[in-house]
Amino acid sequence: MTPIIIFIPAILSAPFFPAIILKVKAFFGGKKGPPLLIQYYTLAKLFKKGSVYSTSTTYIFKLGPMVSLSAALTALMFLPISGAAPLFSFKGDVLFVLYLLGLGRFFTIAAALDTASPFEGMGAAREAYFPIICEATTFMIFILFYRLTGELTLASFFYGNHPLELWRVAGAPLAFVVTAFFIVLLTENARVPVDDPATHLELTMIHEVMVLDHSGPDFGFIEMGSFCKLFFYAAIVSRLVFPFDLGHPAMNLAAFSLIMLLIYAAVGVIESVMARYRMDRVPKFVLTSFALAFVATIITLEFVK
Amino acid sequence: MTHLVDIILSFVLLSIIFSFGSSRLQGLIKALAFQGVVVSIVPFFIGHDITEGGVLFSLTTLLIRGIAIPFYIYRFIEKVAAHRELEPIIGYNGSIFTGLLLIVAAMAVSRKFSVPSASTSLLLLPTAISLLVGGMFLLMARRKAITMILGYITMENGIYLVGTTFSVRAHHIVEFGILLDVLAGVMIMAVILQNIKLKMQSGGEDTSLNIISKE
Amino acid sequence: MVEILFLIPFLAGVLAFFLTAKSARKTLVATGALHFLLSILLWVYQPGAIIPAYFKTTHSGLLSLLVISLLFLLISIYSTAYLDIDHIKKENVFIGTMLLFLSTMTMVTLSDHIMVMWIAIEATTLASAPLIYTHGTPASLETTWKYVFICSVGIAMALLGSVLISLSMEANKVDVPMSFSALATVAKNLDPMWLKAGFIFILVGYGTKMGLAPMHTWLPDTHSEAPSPVSALLSGVLLNCAYLGIFKTHKIMVNAGLGDFSGTILMAFGIISVLAAATFILRQTEYKRLLAYSSIENMGIIAFGTGLGGLGAYGAILCLIHHSLIKSSLFLTSGNILLSYGSRQIEKTGNLAGHMPKTFVAFFAGFLGISGFPPFGIFIGELLIIIGAFQAGRTVWAGIFIFSLCTIFAGFLNHAMKISFDDHQAPIKITEKARMIWPQYVLLTTSAVLSFWIPDALYRTIVNAVVAFGGGF
Repeated sequence: MTPIIIFIPAILSAPFFPAIILKVKAFFGGKKGPPLLIQYYTLAKLFKKGSVYSTSTTYIFKLGPMVSLSAALTALMFLPISGAAPLFSFKGDVLFVLYLLGLGRFFTIAAALDTASPFEGMGAAREAYFPIICEATTFMIFILFYRLTGELTLASFFYGNHPLELWRVAGAPLAFVVTAFFIVLLTENARVPVDDPATHLELTMIHEVMVLDHSGPDFGFIEMGSFCKLFFYAAIVSRLVFPFDLGHPAMNLAAFSLIMLLIYAAVGVIESVMARYRMDRVPKFVLTSFALAFVATIITLEFVK
Repeated sequence: MTHLVDIILSFVLLSIIFSFGSSRLQGLIKALAFQGVVVSIVPFFIGHDITEGGVLFSLTTLLIRGIAIPFYIYRFIEKVAAHRELEPIIGYNGSIFTGLLLIVAAMAVSRKFSVPSASTSLLLLPTAISLLVGGMFLLMARRKAITMILGYITMENGIYLVGTTFSVRAHHIVEFGILLDVLAGVMIMAVILQNIKLKMQSGGEDTSLNIISKE
Repeated sequence: MVEILFLIPFLAGVLAFFLTAKSARKTLVATGALHFLLSILLWVYQPGAIIPAYFKTTHSGLLSLLVISLLFLLISIYSTAYLDIDHIKKENVFIGTMLLFLSTMTMVTLSDHIMVMWIAIEATTLASAPLIYTHGTPASLETTWKYVFICSVGIAMALLGSVLISLSMEANKVDVPMSFSALATVAKNLDPMWLKAGFIFILVGYGTKMGLAPMHTWLPDTHSEAPSPVSALLSGVLLNCAYLGIFKTHKIMVNAGLGDFSGTILMAFGIISVLAAATFILRQTEYKRLLAYSSIENMGIIAFGTGLGGLGAYGAILCLIHHSLIKSSLFLTSGNILLSYGSRQIEKTGNLAGHMPKTFVAFFAGFLGISGFPPFGIFIGELLIIIGAFQAGRTVWAGIFIFSLCTIFAGFLNHAMKISFDDHQAPIKITEKARMIWPQYVLLTTSAVLSFWIPDALYRTIVNAVVAFGGGF
């Protein structure tokens, strides 16, 4: 029963957290910023509208938003949010979840290509390129976790105080992993310094440019999907930085929410103080996360032996 | 579970990767300063007898390797206003991968050696090897003469790490002599480079700091 | 008390920085003479050191010291005349650095501790850098950079090697001072793996400084760019200092029963150097570079002989001494040629015999000596090495060796004939001063005399130095 109780509010709160980022950015800019519920208003507005489809598109274009949202939602079901048991868990679900997210991305890219717009093709190329390195990083991290725990489920990594166990065995190198995962979070979710969600120039966009042609509920799906995806990564990071089990689900949830707020705030701070990297510098930045994860794995395996 | 030294050394390993990926001289110098500091404080952690002379010597090393040399080079770059980009021969991404491979190789190699007094820290030998080979790599893979100096210093740091941590035998006075030699060497190299820069500016020849050997 | 030998030039060098050009020159010659005197006293009395852990008089060290001292004295006399013609802006700095250079080289010959030796050898690099930069031209700057950088990196390898040798002590819990003499006695107890690794790194490191191919790339540039007295010092003495490091390490290896391992590597490097020199000498266009490559050749010969052991090792020491004497005289002579023709190109020279007969005698005699003609000592040295190679059954090595020597001789002869006898009409710029001629004559005569008659003390010292390699007759 608990999994459902936690899962539903988690999904519902996913659009709330990105507003924190906006607030932080507004604070740095000396502005008041949009209301905290801004994303809910946006979603409501989008779902009230109708969708417009270009005549050159096919059903792939309509499929894209739905698949990406449902992939993100499904992935969340396997994640022990706030350390509580996940909805589903089976041996090897780590791989399933990773490929599920990959599937979501695939359909986003396919939908973008379906429009035959040169801009969107460019964004799709970038969207396909950078996350490849991210996937390498994520795999490297999960390989490390697998070697540490001997299991291959998200639950075994992040449930209860299991992350604490990871810290105990791996020690300092896990700090590298957290940093690496944070970089993955920024890259996968098209945040500064990889991509600027606030940019208005298609040439410099990565994620935004691919969804230019979507409108109405379709765009709502995409927005919701990206909120869930961000939530997914942030939840993992939060389990890593706060690996404790406080004993009561409610207390866990409270602590979890607090950490999540902090993580989103951190993203906001990064977006405020950093500029977006030049496009040819981005791979190096993403590669840094791989290097971090790799070094952490090598070092840790040396100790575990 | 892990030795405190290993935690610090893992950051040194990371700094090597960072210096491989760094496209700016400033970044390289920061990595260098960090390595210098760590390398000079490592002897504190690995159970050598801490004597007054030892502490004094370590602090001097710290001062020279961690602060004086990087600061000197930093000032030097400011003065000659060298073009900040590094002009790599091997690209940054390739360098990062090389760095990763290097660390793996260093781990694999050091497992083969039975090093006396290595039981205190698992990462000492791999870090030393990585610094050594990493320095050589920087030396070869970057076109700028100033980067060569930085590579040389990295190499020296690696050798120093092997020297101070694995052999307790050398006297401080001897090590101090080595340190002075390195310092003087770096300064002389920098002075030569500065003169080259001046000459080239006045002569209007090739204005880059590049020096490529000719036969 | 042996420390006095390098302290005096050091203090004199520091002093010279604050003197006028004229008094600096006097200081230079006076210090050279004093140093020579002290070296001879050192041979006679062989006193102990104030810090015996670091310094000690050894046979090989004494040999090098005497050569250094004699050469420096003669070169300093030559320099006073040379400086009259070749104008150098800050003469006191030049002379001061020369003295510091002498001090560091003396320290190399006297140091017994592995690390102290490293410090001293690195110090020679640093002290000689300003000397090479003397003329301040862009080319000399680039050369200085190359020299300092390549040598520093190379010598860093030697430092690693030294550290590895200390590891070989640590590994087997050998508790002796880290000095060459102490290690040679307990060599059997050292860990062979670390010792081998240490030797390789030391060979590569000091080999760079010694000019062994393929680490020699700095050498031709440096020797050709530096002012001639400095070239003479670099080639005649500095290379020997680096060799000393290799020699002493090789001794430890031989005592540890790893002589075959280190000897073969030394021989390989030696042969490669000789071959490389042969290739470059044939088509050389500058005579100072020609001499530089000849230095590489001779260092190769010495390394080869040392690696061979036995008769070869004795021959190598003979070559070492005579190469220093003859090559420095040649570099001094090349200074005369450069000053009078104003070019380093062989093309621009000619008719040396007609223009400057005295210089010609020094040049041609030096050329014959360095090519291994009697009555000069290199002849005996090379002969012994070849005989040693055949005795040891290394016929293939000996074959390559002889072939390279012949090639080098042919190439060298071609250039020497061109310089000496070809037509040259343009007037020459200087007149032959006595002080620029007789130092060469003294050096060549010394070499010639030594090849007929070796003083007993010298002979015993050489034999003692190589006794570990089964040297001597």
